[in-house]
Amino acid sequence: MLPQVLFSGLALGSIYGLVALGFALVFKATDVLNFAQGMFVVVGAFLAVTAGTQLHLPFALTLMFIVVAAALIGAAIQALLIRPLTGRSMLSIIMVTIALSIVLRALIEIIFGPQPRALTTPMPTGVFIVEGVRISQLHMLAAGVSWLCLGLFALFFRFTTFGLQMRATANGHEAALVSGINVDFVNRVAWAIGSVLAAIGGLFLAQLQLASTELEGIGLLALPAVVIGGLQSIPGAIIGGLLVGLIEQLASSYVSPRSADIFVYTLLLLVLMVRPWGLFGQRELGRV
Amino acid sequence: MSGEQAAVSAAPAVRPARGWRAPVLLVLGVAAACYLPFILTERAIFGVRLSNMQLLNIGLTQVNLMMITLLGALSLNYLTGIAGLISIGHAAFYAMGAMAGAVFGTQLGLPFPVVLAGSALVGAATGVVAGLPSLRVRGLYFVLSTFALHYIVVFMLSEYQFRFFDVVGIPFEEATLGTFVLDTPLRWYFFLLVLCVLVYVGLRNSLRTREGRAMMAMRDHELAASAAGIDVRILRLKAFACSSAIAAVAGTLYSYYMTNVNAEFFTIDFAIQFVAIIIIGGMGSLAGSLVGAAVWLLLPAVITGFAAQIGSTDSAFGTLLTESKPQLVNLIFGSLVIVLLIFAPGGIAGIGRSLRDRLSVRVR
Amino acid sequence: MAAMLEVEGLSVGYARKGLALDDVSLVVPTGGIVALLGANGAGKTTLIRTITGLLPMHNGRVAQGRVRFAGVDITGMAAHRLVRLGLAQVPEGRLIFKQLSVEENLQVGAAFLPRGKVAERLEAVFALFPRLRERRRQAAGLMSGGEQQMLALGRALIGGPRLLLVDELSLGLAPLIVEAIYQQLMSVGETLGTAMLIVEQNAHVALEYAQTAYILDRGRIAMSGDAATVGASSAIADAYLGLAGEVPADV
Ligand SMILES: Nc1ncnc2c1ncn2[C@@H]1O[C@H](COP(=O)(O)OP(=O)(O)O)[C@@H](O)[C@H]1O
Ligand SMILES: [Mg+2]
Repeated sequence: MLPQVLFSGLALGSIYGLVALGFALVFKATDVLNFAQGMFVVVGAFLAVTAGTQLHLPFALTLMFIVVAAALIGAAIQALLIRPLTGRSMLSIIMVTIALSIVLRALIEIIFGPQPRALTTPMPTGVFIVEGVRISQLHMLAAGVSWLCLGLFALFFRFTTFGLQMRATANGHEAALVSGINVDFVNRVAWAIGSVLAAIGGLFLAQLQLASTELEGIGLLALPAVVIGGLQSIPGAIIGGLLVGLIEQLASSYVSPRSADIFVYTLLLLVLMVRPWGLFGQRELGRV
Repeated sequence: MSGEQAAVSAAPAVRPARGWRAPVLLVLGVAAACYLPFILTERAIFGVRLSNMQLLNIGLTQVNLMMITLLGALSLNYLTGIAGLISIGHAAFYAMGAMAGAVFGTQLGLPFPVVLAGSALVGAATGVVAGLPSLRVRGLYFVLSTFALHYIVVFMLSEYQFRFFDVVGIPFEEATLGTFVLDTPLRWYFFLLVLCVLVYVGLRNSLRTREGRAMMAMRDHELAASAAGIDVRILRLKAFACSSAIAAVAGTLYSYYMTNVNAEFFTIDFAIQFVAIIIIGGMGSLAGSLVGAAVWLLLPAVITGFAAQIGSTDSAFGTLLTESKPQLVNLIFGSLVIVLLIFAPGGIAGIGRSLRDRLSVRVR
Repeated sequence: MAAMLEVEGLSVGYARKGLALDDVSLVVPTGGIVALLGANGAGKTTLIRTITGLLPMHNGRVAQGRVRFAGVDITGMAAHRLVRLGLAQVPEGRLIFKQLSVEENLQVGAAFLPRGKVAERLEAVFALFPRLRERRRQAAGLMSGGEQQMLALGRALIGGPRLLLVDELSLGLAPLIVEAIYQQLMSVGETLGTAMLIVEQNAHVALEYAQTAYILDRGRIAMSGDAATVGASSAIADAYLGLAGEVPADV
């Protein structure tokens, strides 16, 4: 049983890691804790429903549709809601993202109705069995794609000029402006990327389960994942995601499914009390 | 001319007016508050019958629930708007209140006033625990700790519920104050009205004390407050204890009013509605909480009214109104929060204040 | 000679405050070095922020007046566009990227240059400040104050600016280091012909290198003229001791 639990935990954790990476990116670039990230996951799931199930687009086009639409939505939100609040109190900014998630949820439920939708994509749904462990192909694919995205982003940050500018902006907005960086544009791109990563997570989660606004709760797990890993640390976000996936699976298998979230949030509280800069963050940065 | 000078010279002009205006307004307000429930139950004003539409589809129960929500909003506004501590886990205190009510009332059968007092104590204790992280972390990290706390408390409530009751929820008996049985909405109305006024006046007066001023100083400049010899850490815990005691009492009242409570009520959305109310009403303005709670009450009612009027026509808008009413309410509520945050960060109270300033300038 | 920077009748205020700058005019000639002196709180940094487009970040706004850079009106232009036009600055408090390496800091400053030119410009900065070359892989936040100031200067110079604004370069640094950094700065000014506006609370240092000087006192220009005259005048002592003229009235 344990290997099975570990496998599902890591596979799910990879998806959380992906969503958490988007979350951490937005936070690092713009200092905004995006409580709507969970809803962005749902948006991704319903973009998949729109393209695949309603418009009957071929899968490749569905993917492109999701990425482009999610990027546009993220950028538009930055331009319309986040930018006007530059320099305002933390509560205002948090509340705008919370209100945004309320609005997005309402819109989705109005447009698509309250019932969950099944996703039809050609993604593999079979299972193969290795030494008694049932390995779902979809889980494998989700984990694989997540790791691919994570790898690509690592390269992007390390080796491209724009990636460098994003890291610099995360380090300080005024310093970035002084150095000639178009901070507003960098922020918009960060929001677009954060939204795209959540949407890809949403695509997989909708395929693994169903597309519904219930996925928000799963998407919101990115929050504890990021904080546990270290709010300022990109690798921390990913490891945090894996950790949350593992904890969830272990708790629901060995304790009870209802208790899964509690272990995560208790760990979150402990980390906040003992190591607010996160397991992988740097101490100096944890102080606010 | 600077604004300060204007304020100074305007004050004497206003004061004689205030001399008679305040008591008259107070009397009118009390009269209106006492007459309101009869309008809503008789569906008539001074003998003239009113249609549902004219009454905005509001019943007394909705007004009562609004007052219970108002208690939560007041306590959150005290914590966030005045003491500067942000909490998005306020529903946890409601849940604690529900749990305290279940233990003291349903299980131990203590009298209602004792249950309320016990719930206030439990709430205050929870508040101190919830405030503990504020001794170590600030800002975002603290907000996150309230978020985590929410999940933990609600989980405790649901474990408790499943241990001693069942999925249906926790039943609550009728509340009685001595011989006064709270068995009709009308009786609840007057009980809640008195309670709301007490809490409002209490919080307002507490702001005028040394400690209240220190709290506002702490919100604006923590360092300045520390420098003035205030132990900011104790003050924070006190603010938390006071705020969560009120919220827990509101949670108990909510449970008794609903006669049955389920852990599933206390979602994070439940917590967020309080934040939305104080943003709509006006952060830091206790009176604003009332405005925010009123919007919270009126919005669904007005939409129901629209739905009743247009619902029969089979336009797309009509179907939208009838079939997605709760979603529409949320859509408008959420959008209102966003629009106010961007264009009027002081909320409706802030808009009112600036209008009044403009008027008083014009009058002079 | 045409002016590189012209500030005309500039009045600037911050939210909920009176004016921080009141009718300030100032000229930096092409290739010239100008000192801007004044006590703490006089408005020096505010002037720099206004010129370089950082005012909105600090909730400030221009009430009146205009700024021209090489003849072009740049009042209210976005900060990053000004850098690309050749208006660089070493801001108050340096504002280097502490978590990035020294080399990455410089690369950020060079990001808008054509790709082929970056390596060459990087070499030029390293030649100017060999210390930075030694520390190129180190996290910038771990260097000494003087080295961080060199890095901030290098980052500003790497794009080859036509005008450089330097805010309180000497703050918190030992006199010998200040001297050395200024020497380097002046050699750059000579070879590249970069015009400079040097803001200093420390009047002696700045007057040593500048051709002209302005004294800012509570938001107003109290005196201007060539550096030697200003240095010898009593206005300078008055400005620092707060004796010059009446307090400017609000609005
Ligand atoms: N961000 C700000 N918000 C409000 N007032 C400010 C801000 N920055 C500076 N000030 C005020 O503007 C005036 C000028 O400050 P500054 O330009 O920093 O002076 P200096 O650089 O000469 O020391 C001071 O009275 C200061 O308090
Ligand atoms: Mg300064």
